[in-house]
Amino acid sequence: MPLREFDITIGKTGEVELHIKGYKGRACHEAVKMFEQIVGEMKSQRETSEFYEPDEQVQFNIEQRH
Amino acid sequence: MGAVSILAPVIIAAWPAFSSAVVAAAASLGYQVASEAKNQAAAAAQKLAQPVRLEIERSEVVTDQLGRDQHMTVTRSGITVTFSRDARGRASLHVTGSGQSQEELRALGEELSQRVVQQYVYQKLMDEMRKRGFNVVEEEQNEDQSIRLKVRHWEN
Repeated sequence: MPLREFDITIGKTGEVELHIKGYKGRACHEAVKMFEQIVGEMKSQRETSEFYEPDEQVQFNIEQRH
Repeated sequence: MGAVSILAPVIIAAWPAFSSAVVAAAASLGYQVASEAKNQAAAAAQKLAQPVRLEIERSEVVTDQLGRDQHMTVTRSGITVTFSRDARGRASLHVTGSGQSQEELRALGEELSQRVVQQYVYQKLMDEMRKRGFNVVEEEQNEDQSIRLKVRHWEN
């Protein structure tokens, strides 16, 4: 079971800084979309190395071939 | 980590959710709720001299026909702030007081309106995270008045 975690800081003006952990690729985009629906407009975004890691399912298939 | 995002808040709220944020913000800054009634507070605010009017950006207080004249007034040491929904549906506030300059009243109004937005975002995030099965495992108020939350969810 993967751990999904959000570290959220609500600044004194209401601006939200969101650190997303445990999501990769498309799942990360979906998590961001969820926060856009809850909070508002995206001002900036920076993907971290985990974002570019393959999804769990893809990784599993590769391991099966070896 | 997957991503780091910065989001600007947009308030689209019914009056109860908006007024709940006003109450929380006012209490955190030492204001007391004076009244919440149709027309009454607006009429009282208009009698005070030279109110400073501010709008809460990116806000829309959705309401039905019956709720259009709702207001909420909070006070602190001679400062009176009345929140209402303007004709376009945007949340606005009138700040009045005795002995303060217009700049001081504006600064007080901006401080309070920012806190309302912060409290609205906080309440909405807490509500939505719980609905989606996330657990709030850490919560703290920082010295710079920001609120930090850590939420977790084990996905099947």
